[in-house]
Amino acid sequence: MFEFLKRIFSDGKPSSRSRANDRLRVVLTHDRVGSSAQLMETLQEEIIALIARHMEIDGTPEVRLISEGRHSALDISIPLKGR
Amino acid sequence: MAKKNSDCQVIVVTSGKGGVGKTTAVANLSTGLAKQGYSVVVMDLDIGLKKLDLILGLENRVIYDIVQVIEGECTLRQALVKDKRFPELFMLPAAQTRNKDDITAEQVVEVCKELRPDFDFIFIDCPAGIEKGFQNAIAAADKAIVVTNPEVSAVRDADRIIGMLESADFRDIKLLVNRIRPDMVRRGDMLSIEDLIEHLCIELLGVVPEDSGVVISTNRGEPIILNDKSSAAQAFSNIVQRMQGIEVPFMTLQEDSFWGKLRRNLGFGR
Ligand SMILES: Nc1ncnc2c1ncn2[C@@H]1O[C@H](COP(=O)(O)OP(=O)(O)OP(=O)(O)O)[C@@H](O)[C@H]1O
Ligand SMILES: [Mg+2]
Repeated sequence: MFEFLKRIFSDGKPSSRSRANDRLRVVLTHDRVGSSAQLMETLQEEIIALIARHMEIDGTPEVRLISEGRHSALDISIPLKGR
Repeated sequence: MAKKNSDCQVIVVTSGKGGVGKTTAVANLSTGLAKQGYSVVVMDLDIGLKKLDLILGLENRVIYDIVQVIEGECTLRQALVKDKRFPELFMLPAAQTRNKDDITAEQVVEVCKELRPDFDFIFIDCPAGIEKGFQNAIAAADKAIVVTNPEVSAVRDADRIIGMLESADFRDIKLLVNRIRPDMVRRGDMLSIEDLIEHLCIELLGVVPEDSGVVISTNRGEPIILNDKSSAAQAFSNIVQRMQGIEVPFMTLQEDSFWGKLRRNLGFGR
């Protein structure tokens, strides 16, 4: 019942705490490796261009920065077209 | 001076961001450990912006400072200020009219080397920032306490500091979360302890709640840990116990409002 009341009285926006967590997750991952959203975009474009020169890409490729504890990694996922 | 342990722990208290509670933590933890009979010295390395003497209520006893020790104007013994309350607590004051570039990391290491044989704990009160003052403060330390507030900007700076401490080969880095407001966490308007640990990935040393008593005790120059009615004092006392190797559960930070109690008693909320 409390959850129900809470839902009625809240304005449907995510809590400021969950916004803070989302923003921190992104910013800390970038801070730790000295990257940025722009750099990720550039990387994605260049990696896709490189792969596309040799193979046929299918679907939506993705280049993401992921972190496990204080360690970070580039997660590159490029779906390829089969013959 | 009666030292309890054969070894000496040199602990730097740092944060990156200013004003999060480093000096308050140093004053309270050192007082708490001295109250337990340990020999403790606090080194104020916030040269040019000193505050530790005020928070400990020792500002009228300061004669010499660390820069004068380093420059040979006085001996280390002459510069140490004895606490009013505990004979085993000493402060090595910062210089107010000098700046962080007037000393080097090697000189701080030398001063610590001279203090180690006589003390159980040496606390280093680190200035805000990541420049020279920070480098000087971490150079002589074996362990670090990173102080942060449950707030995005403080957490981001804490993360940077933890990265720098790891690069400097620190193995023992612990987190002190200061100024948490359980009511706000419960409303979803403040980062929780779990959130902070998830982001920073280091071991928790303690959680100190927001407490208006801290300002009052600072006005008086008496560390709040000596006033056992306050919630911040209880939190600092728990940390003092953990620093002695005693396991103390983390405080369940429950809100004390009438509605909070009612809701809990009726089985709502968590
Ligand atoms: N738990 C608390 N509850 C309420 N006020 C607090 C608490 N902890 C610290 N404060 C207040 O916050 C202010 C800053 O604290 P303090 O001087 O210890 O921070 P600092 O990190 O050493 O700052 P600086 O970076 O300037 O050296 C002080 O006015 C202090 O009284
Ligand atoms: Mg300070």
